[in-house]
Amino acid sequence: MKKKLNISAALASATCALLHPYASANEMLEGWKIDTSLMYYGETDRVSAVEAVIAGQKDFGEEQLLSGKIVIDTLTGASATGAVAQLTAQTVSRPSGEGTYTVSPGETPLDDTFKDTRVQLDGQWTQPWSDVSRITTGLHLSTEHDYYSLGFNGSYAHDFYNKNTTLSAGLAYSYDVIKPEGGLPVPFATKTASINTSEDYDDNEDDESEDDDDDNDNYDNDERLGSSDNKSTVDVLFGLTQVMNRRMLMQFNLGFSEISGYSTDPYKVLSIVNEQGLTQSLVYENRPDSRTKTFAFWQTKYALDFGVVDFSYRFATDDWKVDSHTFDSRLRINLTDSSYLQPHFRYYNQSAAEFFHPFLMEGQVLPEFATADYRLGEMSAYTFGLKYGTKMDNGDELSFRLEYYQQSPKNAGFTEPGTLQDVDLYPSVKAVIAQVNYRF
Amino acid sequence: MTNSAKQTAFVIEQKSDHMMGRFSAMASPCELLMETQDPLLANYLTSLAYKETKRIEQKFSRYLPNNPMAKINHSMGQAVVIDAEIFRLLEFANSCFELSDGMFDMTSGVLRQAWKFDGSDNLPTPKAVQALMPYIGWQKVKYDQSSITLIKGMELDFGGIGKEYAVDCVANMCTEYAPKTSVVVNFGGDIQVTRARHNSQPWYIGIESPEDDDKNTTHTLKIVSGGLATSGDARRYLLKDGKRYSHILNPETGYPIENAARSVTVAAPHCIQAGLLATMALLKGPNADVFLEHQDVKFWCYR
Repeated sequence: MKKKLNISAALASATCALLHPYASANEMLEGWKIDTSLMYYGETDRVSAVEAVIAGQKDFGEEQLLSGKIVIDTLTGASATGAVAQLTAQTVSRPSGEGTYTVSPGETPLDDTFKDTRVQLDGQWTQPWSDVSRITTGLHLSTEHDYYSLGFNGSYAHDFYNKNTTLSAGLAYSYDVIKPEGGLPVPFATKTASINTSEDYDDNEDDESEDDDDDNDNYDNDERLGSSDNKSTVDVLFGLTQVMNRRMLMQFNLGFSEISGYSTDPYKVLSIVNEQGLTQSLVYENRPDSRTKTFAFWQTKYALDFGVVDFSYRFATDDWKVDSHTFDSRLRINLTDSSYLQPHFRYYNQSAAEFFHPFLMEGQVLPEFATADYRLGEMSAYTFGLKYGTKMDNGDELSFRLEYYQQSPKNAGFTEPGTLQDVDLYPSVKAVIAQVNYRF
Repeated sequence: MTNSAKQTAFVIEQKSDHMMGRFSAMASPCELLMETQDPLLANYLTSLAYKETKRIEQKFSRYLPNNPMAKINHSMGQAVVIDAEIFRLLEFANSCFELSDGMFDMTSGVLRQAWKFDGSDNLPTPKAVQALMPYIGWQKVKYDQSSITLIKGMELDFGGIGKEYAVDCVANMCTEYAPKTSVVVNFGGDIQVTRARHNSQPWYIGIESPEDDDKNTTHTLKIVSGGLATSGDARRYLLKDGKRYSHILNPETGYPIENAARSVTVAAPHCIQAGLLATMALLKGPNADVFLEHQDVKFWCYR
């Protein structure tokens, strides 16, 4: 048996010697499809990020695929701390003790001096399991100066009816370590020095991110719980892709996530206000250390004569009572054989977490969990975008994307005391996204 | 006044989503399918393919009087100087000889002096066959990087791999000169696709195969990239007393392989690799299917 298999291999090697007598190292890059992109994300007056991505994929024949991706994000700017705006000016000191700055009346406190760089590496290998099925395994690594994440995933996909139907099941596990500057704050402990913390979020638009960033040199003497903590996430995903007819394809996904571990944002605070709406103190927030999420996703792609339209809806719910709906639609219009225009529209809506409080009232019993992070509050978000792509003569593809994104937090039913009624507790966040993508 | 038809070396045709170049060589219709709409590129690649194919045909044909092959086959036992390309092909033939346990033998061509496969019942006499056996046997060939020596009366026949080799050489050339263009090189069913098309769509190629006597059906195969080769007897056989003698000859006995498949098509990364596997399968007689199953390649066997 062994001898027989060796014939094929020996023949392959003899063929190589015959046809490629001068094989060179250039062959290492042969067969790789590379995708590069550079993206700028800028919120008015707040966070800006530049992200560079290089992704590569190599087909080893017989449906074996290796793909890898490197992402580098650099973030700067300012982001909401969770503290409420006030009618009078507030003077705050910057982290690292570099002096103070003043928050104008009515403005939401932001910390304006942070910078961070995040590097992310992903690798994935797809291997056919049988004639009609394949398994995929992957590894994920991400690192920032105060947050590390390591994850691995695996999935199995099975085709039926001549690939018209595909069922898939996947499992992912991720282990994150957070090591905030200055250590972990005690929940609801008062933030003594009034240093405004800051945070930024990665480009996963509105869902509150799990990997926050900060550059908070905390020089106060707040009690600390420890220097680092961790969090584990298990995700289970089921998918069904179905070709409906010659022009239409649908996909259904069902997913469950179980998160356990440290989920609080160590840089966010809540304002404790008195009956006049004046801030008395700032306290650190606290979130439950477990979260169970479920989501359902449905997408339809339809081939038109001049392009493709796709439309999707996603519903998510969890035991933090954050329910969300996402409607997303793209219309690709082929201008010529090798260029297209693609408008994009997305609407997102979420309900507030059950422990979301835009502020806390002085004198009232502190709840077990509370956060004023607007990304866990009630809000809706809109995206309008346009993408233009073109294929060059040598087969390489170039595309440009411009999008406008607006998050509009809303009042989830809290009565604002005193002067808080005269400030905007729920300012909109507006952002522009510009991206260039080159594939070869 | 007579009209003398101008003989063009090759023709270029424009199709809906590709261009096709055609010419005749190696006793086969040769086609180049190129995923491009650029007539200059199509012209350039086809002319390169034509020149390269003609070069190989003329170098290795056993019908021409003064080419390197003639010099080797009429060397009367003397050493003949060879170039790097001939040396590589000899090395390849040597590997095939070993991998096939001696069944694939480039010196077995002399048997055509005894066997004429014309569908008749004229079998050669055993004496005629035995007379040729001393001149067969790859192990009797002596060669090195600069020269080859055959026993007087021995001949080398590259016919078994010549067409597939030409397909691969032309495919290599297309890859070198047009690396981003998907090209199908199809010489009468021996095929090499240089790379996948831009949207990973397959090429649809029709392959003729004999299913019943003298009846050919066309199967459409989908190829994304790689090579395909067919070895078969077409209409070359002898029929006597109800027994069919295929034209695949066993170099050790001088007689046809019994129960050989009528036609074998194999898919492999390179055309010449596919061709060798198909030929080796035929040489396995009744075990062709089993042999190819073990090689983990896609194949079609017709009996």
